[in-house]
Amino acid sequence: MSASVVQIIRRSDEASVDAKLLGGIKPTDLLVVEGEWAPERSVVMQELLQQGVSRDKWPQSLHWDWRKKSPQLKLLESAGYGIVCDKRWQGVMLTKTASHFAMLDKDKGKPLVYVDYLEVAPWNWVIPEIGREGEFRGIGSLLFWRAVKQSQEEGFYGRVGLHALPQSEPFYEKGCGMTPVGRDASKQNLLYFELSRQQAERFLKEGD
Amino acid sequence: MSTMKENTGPSRKWLVRMANIEDSCRTISAGGMAADLGMVAHVAGESQKIFGRLIEFARRAKGLTVEQLAERADVDVAEIVDIERHDDSIPSPRTVYQLAQALNLSPGKLTEVAGLSTARHEVSAAALRFAARSEPTATLSQAEREAFEEFVKVLVENSDGG
Repeated sequence: MSASVVQIIRRSDEASVDAKLLGGIKPTDLLVVEGEWAPERSVVMQELLQQGVSRDKWPQSLHWDWRKKSPQLKLLESAGYGIVCDKRWQGVMLTKTASHFAMLDKDKGKPLVYVDYLEVAPWNWVIPEIGREGEFRGIGSLLFWRAVKQSQEEGFYGRVGLHALPQSEPFYEKGCGMTPVGRDASKQNLLYFELSRQQAERFLKEGD
Repeated sequence: MSTMKENTGPSRKWLVRMANIEDSCRTISAGGMAADLGMVAHVAGESQKIFGRLIEFARRAKGLTVEQLAERADVDVAEIVDIERHDDSIPSPRTVYQLAQALNLSPGKLTEVAGLSTARHEVSAAALRFAARSEPTATLSQAEREAFEEFVKVLVENSDGG
Protein backbone atom coordinates (compact mmCIF):
# COMPACT_ATOMS: atom_id res chain seq x y z
CA MET A 1 0.00 0.00 0.00
CA SER A 2 1.41 3.44 -0.94
CA ALA A 3 0.73 6.71 0.85
CA SER A 4 1.08 10.40 0.02
CA VAL A 5 -0.15 13.63 1.54
CA VAL A 6 -2.96 15.66 0.00
CA GLN A 7 -4.91 18.56 1.40
CA ILE A 8 -8.68 18.59 1.91
CA ILE A 9 -10.86 21.44 3.13
CA ARG A 10 -12.38 21.46 6.62
CA ARG A 11 -15.78 23.07 6.27
CA SER A 12 -16.00 24.53 9.77
CA ASP A 13 -13.19 27.05 9.15
CA GLU A 14 -12.42 26.47 5.41
CA ALA A 15 -8.84 25.57 6.38
CA SER A 16 -6.74 23.21 4.27
CA VAL A 17 -5.82 20.17 6.34
CA ASP A 18 -3.47 17.28 5.59
CA ALA A 19 -4.91 13.89 4.70
CA LYS A 20 -3.37 10.61 3.59
CA LEU A 21 -4.04 9.39 0.09
CA LEU A 22 -3.59 5.63 0.28
CA GLY A 23 -3.09 3.45 -2.77
CA GLY A 24 -3.51 -0.30 -3.16
CA ILE A 25 -7.07 -0.44 -1.77
CA LYS A 26 -8.84 -3.72 -2.59
CA PRO A 27 -12.60 -4.34 -2.97
CA THR A 28 -12.68 -6.32 0.27
CA ASP A 29 -11.32 -3.25 2.10
CA LEU A 30 -14.80 -1.81 1.61
CA LEU A 31 -15.95 -4.13 4.38
CA VAL A 32 -13.69 -2.24 6.78
CA VAL A 33 -14.77 1.12 5.39
CA GLU A 34 -18.41 0.12 5.67
CA GLY A 35 -17.87 -0.62 9.33
CA GLU A 36 -17.25 3.13 9.76
CA TRP A 37 -19.80 4.40 7.28
CA ALA A 38 -22.84 2.19 7.88
CA PRO A 39 -23.76 3.60 11.33
CA GLU A 40 -23.64 7.14 9.90
CA ARG A 41 -25.77 6.12 6.90
CA SER A 42 -28.31 4.78 9.36
CA VAL A 43 -28.40 8.09 11.23
CA VAL A 44 -28.80 10.01 7.96
CA MET A 45 -31.69 7.78 6.93
CA GLN A 46 -33.43 8.26 10.27
CA GLU A 47 -33.07 12.05 9.99
CA LEU A 48 -34.48 12.00 6.44
CA LEU A 49 -37.46 9.93 7.61
CA GLN A 50 -38.08 12.09 10.68
CA GLN A 51 -38.03 15.29 8.63
CA GLY A 52 -40.30 13.77 5.97
CA VAL A 53 -37.81 14.52 3.19
CA SER A 54 -39.14 13.19 -0.14
CA ARG A 55 -37.34 10.17 -1.56
CA ASP A 56 -36.10 11.99 -4.65
CA LYS A 57 -33.94 14.14 -2.37
CA TRP A 58 -32.31 11.23 -0.58
CA PRO A 59 -28.70 10.54 -1.60
CA GLN A 60 -28.96 7.80 -4.21
CA SER A 61 -26.13 5.80 -2.63
CA LEU A 62 -27.74 5.87 0.82
CA HIS A 63 -28.69 2.19 0.70
CA TRP A 64 -25.27 0.91 -0.40
CA ASP A 65 -23.98 -1.60 2.12
CA TRP A 66 -21.06 -3.61 0.82
CA ARG A 67 -21.14 -5.98 3.78
CA LYS A 68 -24.12 -7.61 2.08
CA LYS A 69 -21.97 -8.23 -1.01
CA SER A 70 -18.97 -9.75 0.70
CA PRO A 71 -18.78 -12.92 -1.47
CA GLN A 72 -18.95 -10.91 -4.70
CA LEU A 73 -16.34 -8.37 -3.54
CA LYS A 74 -13.79 -11.16 -3.18
CA LEU A 75 -14.12 -11.91 -6.90
CA LEU A 76 -13.62 -8.34 -8.16
CA GLU A 77 -10.31 -7.34 -9.71
CA SER A 78 -10.44 -3.61 -9.18
CA ALA A 79 -7.98 -1.71 -6.98
CA GLY A 80 -7.87 1.87 -5.89
CA TYR A 81 -7.38 4.67 -3.42
CA GLY A 82 -8.72 5.94 -0.14
CA ILE A 83 -8.43 9.26 1.69
CA VAL A 84 -7.92 9.10 5.46
CA CYS A 85 -8.13 12.08 7.82
CA ASP A 86 -8.92 12.21 11.54
CA LYS A 87 -8.28 8.44 11.53
CA ARG A 88 -11.42 7.88 9.45
CA TRP A 89 -12.02 6.93 5.81
CA GLN A 90 -13.21 10.14 4.13
CA GLY A 91 -13.63 8.68 0.64
CA VAL A 92 -12.75 5.62 -1.42
CA MET A 93 -12.37 4.89 -5.15
CA LEU A 94 -11.84 1.61 -7.01
CA THR A 95 -10.59 1.51 -10.59
CA LYS A 96 -9.98 -1.01 -13.36
CA THR A 97 -7.29 -0.68 -16.01
CA ALA A 98 -7.89 -3.63 -18.33
CA SER A 99 -11.64 -3.98 -18.73
CA HIS A 100 -12.90 -0.83 -20.45
CA PHE A 101 -11.93 1.02 -23.60
CA ALA A 102 -12.57 4.52 -24.91
CA MET A 103 -15.82 5.11 -26.78
CA LEU A 104 -15.24 8.72 -27.84
CA ASP A 105 -14.28 9.05 -31.48
CA LYS A 106 -10.67 10.27 -31.45
CA ASP A 107 -9.36 7.55 -29.13
CA LYS A 108 -12.04 4.93 -29.69
CA GLY A 109 -10.92 1.46 -28.59
CA LYS A 110 -7.90 2.69 -26.64
CA PRO A 111 -7.48 1.73 -22.97
CA LEU A 112 -8.62 3.93 -20.13
CA VAL A 113 -8.94 3.90 -16.36
CA TYR A 114 -12.48 2.89 -15.48
CA VAL A 115 -13.75 4.19 -12.12
CA ASP A 116 -15.80 1.27 -10.87
CA TYR A 117 -16.69 2.85 -7.55
CA LEU A 118 -16.26 6.30 -6.01
CA GLU A 119 -17.93 7.41 -2.81
CA VAL A 120 -17.37 9.88 0.03
CA ALA A 121 -18.10 9.23 3.69
CA PRO A 122 -21.70 9.99 4.73
CA TRP A 123 -20.57 12.61 7.27
CA ASN A 124 -19.25 14.61 4.32
CA TRP A 125 -22.59 14.65 2.49
CA VAL A 126 -24.36 17.98 2.03
CA ILE A 127 -28.10 17.53 2.69
CA PRO A 128 -29.71 20.93 3.36
CA GLU A 129 -33.14 19.44 4.22
CA ILE A 130 -31.75 17.93 7.43
CA GLY A 131 -29.13 20.60 8.08
CA ARG A 132 -26.14 18.52 7.09
CA GLU A 133 -23.27 20.56 5.69
CA GLY A 134 -20.54 17.92 5.61
CA GLU A 135 -17.29 17.90 7.63
CA PHE A 136 -14.72 17.85 4.84
CA ARG A 137 -14.95 19.15 1.27
CA GLY A 138 -13.33 18.21 -2.02
CA ILE A 139 -12.93 14.49 -1.30
CA GLY A 140 -14.61 13.28 -4.50
CA SER A 141 -12.70 15.82 -6.60
CA LEU A 142 -9.37 14.63 -5.21
CA LEU A 143 -10.22 10.99 -5.87
CA PHE A 144 -11.23 11.75 -9.45
CA TRP A 145 -8.05 13.80 -9.89
CA ARG A 146 -6.12 10.71 -8.70
CA ALA A 147 -7.90 8.58 -11.33
CA VAL A 148 -6.77 10.95 -14.09
CA LYS A 149 -3.20 10.88 -12.76
CA GLN A 150 -3.35 7.08 -12.62
CA SER A 151 -4.44 7.05 -16.24
CA GLN A 152 -1.39 9.12 -17.16
CA GLU A 153 0.88 6.81 -15.19
CA GLU A 154 -0.58 3.79 -16.98
CA GLY A 155 0.16 5.43 -20.33
CA PHE A 156 -3.52 6.07 -21.04
CA TYR A 157 -3.02 9.86 -21.42
CA GLY A 158 -5.56 10.71 -18.73
CA ARG A 159 -8.49 8.88 -20.34
CA VAL A 160 -11.10 7.97 -17.70
CA GLY A 161 -14.56 6.40 -17.94
CA LEU A 162 -17.29 5.87 -15.35
CA HIS A 163 -21.02 5.38 -14.81
CA ALA A 164 -22.53 8.11 -12.63
CA LEU A 165 -25.59 7.97 -10.41
CA PRO A 166 -28.16 10.48 -11.70
CA GLN A 167 -27.53 12.92 -8.83
CA SER A 168 -23.81 12.83 -9.65
CA GLU A 169 -24.14 13.60 -13.35
CA PRO A 170 -23.66 17.41 -13.05
CA PHE A 171 -20.43 16.89 -11.10
CA TYR A 172 -18.83 14.77 -13.79
CA GLU A 173 -20.08 16.83 -16.72
CA LYS A 174 -19.69 20.39 -15.40
CA GLY A 175 -17.07 19.88 -12.71
CA CYS A 176 -14.77 17.31 -14.28
CA GLY A 177 -15.46 18.25 -17.92
CA MET A 178 -16.39 14.70 -18.97
CA THR A 179 -18.54 13.90 -21.99
CA PRO A 180 -21.87 12.14 -21.35
CA VAL A 181 -21.75 9.29 -23.87
CA GLY A 182 -25.13 7.63 -23.27
CA ARG A 183 -27.21 5.49 -20.95
CA ASP A 184 -25.96 1.95 -20.54
CA ALA A 185 -28.55 -0.81 -20.30
CA SER A 186 -25.86 -3.17 -18.99
CA LYS A 187 -25.32 -0.89 -15.97
CA GLN A 188 -28.89 -0.48 -14.78
CA ASN A 189 -29.29 2.36 -17.27
CA LEU A 190 -26.74 4.66 -15.63
CA LEU A 191 -25.25 7.40 -17.79
CA TYR A 192 -21.72 6.60 -19.01
CA PHE A 193 -19.21 9.47 -18.98
CA GLU A 194 -15.78 9.65 -20.52
CA LEU A 195 -12.82 12.01 -20.15
CA SER A 196 -10.83 12.24 -23.38
CA ARG A 197 -7.10 12.81 -23.64
CA GLN A 198 -7.67 16.49 -24.42
CA GLN A 199 -10.20 16.94 -21.61
CA ALA A 200 -7.76 15.27 -19.20
CA GLU A 201 -5.02 17.73 -20.16
CA ARG A 202 -7.37 20.63 -19.45
CA PHE A 203 -8.55 19.09 -16.18
CA LEU A 204 -5.04 18.58 -14.83
CA LYS A 205 -3.83 21.97 -16.02
CA GLU A 206 -6.60 23.68 -14.09
CA GLY A 207 -5.45 21.87 -10.94
CA ASP A 208 -1.81 23.00 -11.20
CA MET B 1 3.19 1.22 4.03
CA SER B 2 5.89 3.29 2.31
CA THR B 3 7.33 6.57 3.56
CA MET B 4 5.05 9.61 3.23
CA LYS B 5 5.79 11.80 0.22
CA GLU B 6 5.52 15.52 -0.36
CA ASN B 7 2.10 16.97 -1.03
CA THR B 8 1.48 16.50 -4.73
CA GLY B 9 -2.22 17.27 -4.68
CA PRO B 10 -3.86 19.98 -6.80
CA SER B 11 -3.97 23.65 -5.84
CA ARG B 12 -6.28 24.94 -3.12
CA LYS B 13 -7.95 27.32 -5.57
CA TRP B 14 -8.86 24.38 -7.83
CA LEU B 15 -10.04 22.28 -4.91
CA VAL B 16 -12.31 25.03 -3.58
CA ARG B 17 -13.91 25.46 -7.00
CA MET B 18 -14.43 21.73 -7.39
CA ALA B 19 -15.68 21.37 -3.82
CA ASN B 20 -18.33 24.01 -4.52
CA ILE B 21 -19.59 21.92 -7.45
CA GLU B 22 -19.51 18.79 -5.27
CA ASP B 23 -21.59 20.58 -2.64
CA SER B 24 -24.27 21.37 -5.20
CA CYS B 25 -24.79 17.65 -5.93
CA ARG B 26 -26.43 15.30 -3.49
CA THR B 27 -23.86 12.62 -4.20
CA ILE B 28 -20.86 12.35 -6.50
CA SER B 29 -20.92 8.57 -6.55
CA ALA B 30 -19.69 6.46 -9.45
CA GLY B 31 -21.87 3.39 -9.62
CA GLY B 32 -20.50 0.87 -12.13
CA MET B 33 -19.71 -1.72 -9.48
CA ALA B 34 -22.99 -1.08 -7.67
CA ALA B 35 -24.84 -1.60 -10.96
CA ASP B 36 -22.99 -4.88 -11.59
CA LEU B 37 -24.10 -6.07 -8.17
CA GLY B 38 -27.70 -4.89 -8.65
CA MET B 39 -27.44 -2.14 -6.04
CA VAL B 40 -28.60 0.86 -8.08
CA ALA B 41 -32.12 1.87 -7.17
CA HIS B 42 -34.38 2.11 -10.18
CA VAL B 43 -33.93 5.82 -10.56
CA ALA B 44 -32.98 6.11 -14.22
CA GLY B 45 -36.09 4.59 -15.80
CA GLU B 46 -38.12 7.72 -16.47
CA SER B 47 -36.92 7.78 -20.08
CA GLN B 48 -38.38 4.34 -20.77
CA LYS B 49 -41.67 5.30 -19.16
CA ILE B 50 -41.97 8.39 -21.36
CA PHE B 51 -40.82 6.50 -24.44
CA GLY B 52 -43.42 3.76 -23.98
CA ARG B 53 -46.15 6.34 -23.42
CA LEU B 54 -45.10 8.28 -26.53
CA ILE B 55 -45.09 5.20 -28.77
CA GLU B 56 -48.56 4.21 -27.57
CA PHE B 57 -49.95 7.72 -28.15
CA ALA B 58 -48.30 8.06 -31.54
CA ARG B 59 -49.65 4.68 -32.65
CA ARG B 60 -53.17 5.48 -31.49
CA ALA B 61 -53.05 8.95 -33.03
CA LYS B 62 -52.39 7.29 -36.39
CA GLY B 63 -55.21 4.83 -35.77
CA LEU B 64 -52.87 1.83 -35.85
CA THR B 65 -53.22 -1.40 -33.90
CA VAL B 66 -50.13 -2.89 -32.30
CA GLU B 67 -50.08 -5.50 -35.06
CA GLN B 68 -50.26 -2.86 -37.79
CA LEU B 69 -47.43 -0.82 -36.25
CA ALA B 70 -45.35 -3.99 -35.86
CA GLU B 71 -45.79 -4.80 -39.52
CA ARG B 72 -45.14 -1.25 -40.69
CA ALA B 73 -41.97 -0.94 -38.54
CA ASP B 74 -40.79 -4.52 -39.05
CA VAL B 75 -40.60 -5.01 -35.29
CA ASP B 76 -42.01 -7.92 -33.30
CA VAL B 77 -45.49 -7.44 -31.84
CA ALA B 78 -44.20 -8.66 -28.48
CA GLU B 79 -41.49 -5.99 -28.44
CA ILE B 80 -43.97 -3.19 -29.02
CA VAL B 81 -46.27 -4.54 -26.32
CA ASP B 82 -43.27 -4.69 -23.99
CA ILE B 83 -42.29 -1.08 -24.78
CA GLU B 84 -45.83 0.22 -24.26
CA ARG B 85 -46.66 -1.78 -21.13
CA HIS B 86 -43.43 -2.16 -19.16
CA ASP B 87 -41.69 0.91 -17.81
CA ASP B 88 -38.35 -0.89 -17.48
CA SER B 89 -38.28 -2.06 -21.11
CA ILE B 90 -35.16 -0.78 -22.87
CA PRO B 91 -35.55 -0.74 -26.68
CA SER B 92 -32.67 -1.56 -29.02
CA PRO B 93 -31.32 1.24 -31.24
CA ARG B 94 -32.69 -0.60 -34.31
CA THR B 95 -36.19 -0.76 -32.82
CA VAL B 96 -36.12 2.95 -32.02
CA TYR B 97 -35.03 3.73 -35.57
CA GLN B 98 -37.69 1.51 -37.14
CA LEU B 99 -40.44 2.96 -34.94
CA ALA B 100 -39.33 6.49 -35.76
CA GLN B 101 -39.57 5.73 -39.48
CA ALA B 102 -42.99 4.13 -39.12
CA LEU B 103 -44.37 7.01 -37.03
CA ASN B 104 -42.71 9.84 -39.01
CA LEU B 105 -40.62 11.03 -36.07
CA SER B 106 -36.97 12.10 -35.97
CA PRO B 107 -34.88 8.96 -35.24
CA GLY B 108 -32.21 11.03 -33.49
CA LYS B 109 -34.63 12.77 -31.19
CA LEU B 110 -36.59 9.60 -30.51
CA THR B 111 -33.29 8.00 -29.48
CA GLU B 112 -32.86 10.81 -26.95
CA VAL B 113 -36.35 10.20 -25.58
CA ALA B 114 -35.56 6.49 -25.24
CA GLY B 115 -32.57 7.42 -23.09
CA LEU B 116 -30.11 5.81 -25.50
CA SER B 117 -28.31 9.11 -25.92
CA THR B 118 -28.20 12.28 -23.87
CA ALA B 119 -31.35 14.34 -24.38
CA ARG B 120 -30.92 17.95 -25.36
CA HIS B 121 -32.79 20.47 -23.24
CA GLU B 122 -35.66 21.05 -25.69
CA VAL B 123 -36.41 17.33 -25.89
CA SER B 124 -36.10 16.80 -22.13
CA ALA B 125 -38.41 19.70 -21.36
CA ALA B 126 -41.04 18.60 -23.89
CA ALA B 127 -40.83 15.01 -22.62
CA LEU B 128 -41.38 16.11 -19.04
CA ARG B 129 -44.42 18.22 -19.99
CA PHE B 130 -45.81 15.29 -21.94
CA ALA B 131 -45.23 12.86 -19.06
CA ALA B 132 -46.83 15.20 -16.55
CA ARG B 133 -50.02 15.59 -18.54
CA SER B 134 -50.56 12.12 -19.93
CA GLU B 135 -52.03 8.92 -18.55
CA PRO B 136 -52.47 5.69 -20.51
CA THR B 137 -56.16 5.63 -21.35
CA ALA B 138 -58.27 4.05 -24.07
CA THR B 139 -58.83 7.35 -25.89
CA LEU B 140 -56.84 10.56 -26.05
CA SER B 141 -58.35 13.35 -23.94
CA GLN B 142 -58.05 16.94 -25.18
CA ALA B 143 -55.27 17.72 -22.68
CA GLU B 144 -53.41 14.54 -23.59
CA ARG B 145 -53.74 15.27 -27.28
CA GLU B 146 -52.37 18.80 -26.80
CA ALA B 147 -49.43 17.52 -24.76
CA PHE B 148 -48.78 14.81 -27.32
CA GLU B 149 -48.94 17.21 -30.25
CA GLU B 150 -46.58 19.62 -28.53
CA PHE B 151 -44.13 16.80 -27.86
CA VAL B 152 -44.34 15.48 -31.43
CA LYS B 153 -43.73 19.00 -32.73
CA VAL B 154 -40.40 19.04 -30.90
CA LEU B 155 -39.60 15.58 -32.23
CA VAL B 156 -40.11 16.48 -35.88
CA GLU B 157 -38.81 20.09 -35.87
CA ASN B 158 -35.42 20.31 -37.53
CA SER B 159 -35.64 16.60 -38.13
CA ASP B 160 -32.16 15.16 -38.50
CA GLY B 161 -33.47 12.54 -40.83
CA GLY B 162 -31.60 9.75 -39.20
